[in-house]
Amino acid sequence: MKKISRRSVLVAAGMSVVALALTACGSSSTASSSAASGSADAQAITALEDLKGKTVGVQLGTTGDLYMSGEVGGELDIAAVEQYNKAGDAVQALLSNKIDAVCIDDQVAKKFVEANADKLTILDTAYAVEDYAACVSKDRPELTSALNKAIAELKTDGTLDAILDKYINKTEGAAGYVTPDGTEYPNGTLIMATNATFEPYEYIENGAVIGIDAEFAKAICDKLGYELKIEDMEFDSIIPAVQSGKADFGMAGMTVTEERLQNIDFTDSYCTGVQSIIVLK
Amino acid sequence: MEFLQNLAANLSEQFVATFITEQRYMLFVNGLKTTLIITLSAALLGIVLGFCIAYVRTTYDRTGKMGFLNVLCKVYLSVIRGTPTMIQLLIMYFIIFGSVKIDKVPVAILAFGINSGAYVAEIFRSGIMSIPVGQMEAARSLGLNYTQATWKIILPQAVKNVLPALGNEMIVLLKETSISGYIALQDLTKAGDIIRSRTYSPYFPLLSVALIYLVIVMLMERLLTMMEVRLAQSDR
Repeated sequence: MKKISRRSVLVAAGMSVVALALTACGSSSTASSSAASGSADAQAITALEDLKGKTVGVQLGTTGDLYMSGEVGGELDIAAVEQYNKAGDAVQALLSNKIDAVCIDDQVAKKFVEANADKLTILDTAYAVEDYAACVSKDRPELTSALNKAIAELKTDGTLDAILDKYINKTEGAAGYVTPDGTEYPNGTLIMATNATFEPYEYIENGAVIGIDAEFAKAICDKLGYELKIEDMEFDSIIPAVQSGKADFGMAGMTVTEERLQNIDFTDSYCTGVQSIIVLK
Repeated sequence: MEFLQNLAANLSEQFVATFITEQRYMLFVNGLKTTLIITLSAALLGIVLGFCIAYVRTTYDRTGKMGFLNVLCKVYLSVIRGTPTMIQLLIMYFIIFGSVKIDKVPVAILAFGINSGAYVAEIFRSGIMSIPVGQMEAARSLGLNYTQATWKIILPQAVKNVLPALGNEMIVLLKETSISGYIALQDLTKAGDIIRSRTYSPYFPLLSVALIYLVIVMLMERLLTMMEVRLAQSDR
């Protein structure tokens, strides 16, 4: 008995040493961070031109990534682009002073800034305006035209506006889209590939993927008589998944670009997005 | 079969898109450099750390000394082996170095080194414990003290025993560094991912990355065999 108790005391002592070491690490790094942010304030970024020589974080494979990678030594002359697997990781890196700015779609940027209102802000100048659309394999033009037809109908009957009201305008009591009772799915299942880290377009709440794209896709599939199944994956895997038939279409706040069009077809656009730059206050 | 057809389809076009366009082969070269730097440095750190821990643990097992250090080592082993490497890497980058602007390569070296150290420690310990107690007793009876006996009699024999397992750990370490991309570090895997996100074609980037890892591992196997053969010369 005596031996055991002595051991547990030792274990406890060992743990507290580790904890102490970690705290010491933490506090010393906090100290240096305040110094670092102090110097950052001196040359705060307030316009696009201020990005010259700075490091910008993006999410791998997004349009922000494509644009910013083109700006290294380009017009904005930024120093480097850091490609994170998740947008949230890029913002986290910005918050901890590892990078100088993050380039990402405006609605998503707003969500991150809302969550860190005391530390982050969005540059007034929009960087680029772009159209969002769903992508479909080039081998399935009949699916593309079916989706286009449904998109057009949902735009006219106000369903899309109802969804945007719910997620972007945050209208009080906006219900968005709800599947009508008695909807049947005679045509089987359509699999949608997405990257659910992109609030308000697609994100996970209570274990389910929701958001503008998820709800709009549900409306489209209901209209076409397909059951919708959503697969969550890394953003840069979406196009290969759709190309190889692992998913039927991709919807992930995805912008139509020339490069992408060479590899995949897009439906008609359903939303307009803007690339925003997030910087530290 | 479809896989082969896809691969054969405009092979040269894909090759150009993967390697030549925008000098993308430089992504592979730089990525490989980063992977090798991280692996070699982390391996070195892991071996030093693992050796120290194994020394403490076996000394405690055999003599009962260094009890406090032994407990510390055990806590380290449990924590490191009990959590995924990726989580450790993210903790190292986003929490421990949370608010410092720091080059990512040292962060990765530290994370992978500390991780590898835990596994290397147990490999070394098994090697040391595999030498019969009689060897130690004989050495002590000849007048060597514990430290001398360990360094001159036990360790030289133990090293020979641990070599295959140690080689295994080094190979695992090399491949484990492929998660570095999670902290936006451009290692070999991330280089392939970046190219894949630009060409939208998985075949060439993924297969090239796989091939490069395979070649490095085969070189490592070769090196290990050479060391084993050399160390076996004194066996007879």
